[in-house]
Amino acid sequence: MAKARQIVKRLKAVKNIRKITRTMELIATARFKRAMDRATEAAAYTRKLAEIVADLSRANLKFSHPLLDPRPETKRSVLLVLTSNRGLCGGYNAGVLRQATNQLAESARNGEEVELEVSGKRGISLFKFQKRPVERSYTHFDDEVPFAAVEELASRYAADFIAGRIDRLQVAYMQFKSASKQVPVVETLLPLGELGGDVEATADAGVDYDFLPSAEEILEEIVPAAFKAQVFKCFLDATVSEHISRMVAMKGATENAEEMIGILSQQYNRARQTQITSELAEIIGGVAALEG
Amino acid sequence: MPAPLKLVLVTPEKTLIDQTVDALRFPLFDGQIGILPGRAPLLGRLGTGELEIEADGTKTSWFIDGGFAQMRGGVVSLLTNRAKPVSDLDPAQAKADLEVALSRPATTEEQLAARQREQDRARSVLALVNRR
Repeated sequence: MAKARQIVKRLKAVKNIRKITRTMELIATARFKRAMDRATEAAAYTRKLAEIVADLSRANLKFSHPLLDPRPETKRSVLLVLTSNRGLCGGYNAGVLRQATNQLAESARNGEEVELEVSGKRGISLFKFQKRPVERSYTHFDDEVPFAAVEELASRYAADFIAGRIDRLQVAYMQFKSASKQVPVVETLLPLGELGGDVEATADAGVDYDFLPSAEEILEEIVPAAFKAQVFKCFLDATVSEHISRMVAMKGATENAEEMIGILSQQYNRARQTQITSELAEIIGGVAALEG
Repeated sequence: MPAPLKLVLVTPEKTLIDQTVDALRFPLFDGQIGILPGRAPLLGRLGTGELEIEADGTKTSWFIDGGFAQMRGGVVSLLTNRAKPVSDLDPAQAKADLEVALSRPATTEEQLAARQREQDRARSVLALVNRR
């Protein structure tokens, strides 16, 4: 019974694994929905900001703000890499880290000094393995990223940028395009390219606003707010993408386990059958020998 | 009779309020402003303090902390970094925050301004809590 018993053991192990991956898939699905809801809620804020920016730009203002100024050359930059704290999410971390590594190599070629900041244990361990110094690392950005924590980071970047300590801020993360498509990207957030994304042209253009205090001063406040909202969006995108990746990876794992269970039970049945047949043959052989 | 007034209160995390109201009072950068239905379009910077909402004869009040106000086409949108119902504010926490803000060293102008902002915020929270 040796072979059949071994197969039974494996079968049990695979069934256990299937149970685990199936559960993880369900958990990831639930978390994905929650993260998605949060991202949708957050979009309302960004949309409103964009609307205000659009209205401001109709007031014939020249947009100028230290955060918008492009630097003639980039000497020092910060690369913030957003990875997950936990693994088992398919190519999620690998994709982001590949982009980040490429970017680091490119910056090195251009002779830039790059400060590396990493969020998530997966990224931290990779850079540790590569023996690349990491300026700051964060592990507290998990499922529900609070805005206050992101704001703290963003304020520091903005202050550093304005003071001229850094010339560029880039974020490597998994961008959420749709539920079925996420792309790892390296996005330059500082200097800020555009404010609040695409602004749709509204029909009732030219609302005559009372500006309190003045359009310029509102602009001055709105640029940092828009920047913070963008950083926050990166974090939200990363969380949503992580859960989607995990969901897909675990779905694949469950399916593979099911396939394997099928193969193993077939093998087990065959092994058992062979054993019975050979035992029968032995008995018949024995009887024949006695009779003879 | 002007069109009814709608209030939308959003933070970067969430849309907290989206309802029709009768009247509003909230702090701008330089003082309180009151808004009734039919107000002219407005774009302003918010201050720190209390947002009072009057709807269906009841008053609710929230604590808001900076941001922007936009009034356009009968809709008031308040974009703020933090917002909390006044009933959820914690007096002990507010006191502790004020102490921290008071004892923080500030040597540069930026730090001074930041400290002042934090003190103002803590004081306005305290004032709201104590009035309750």
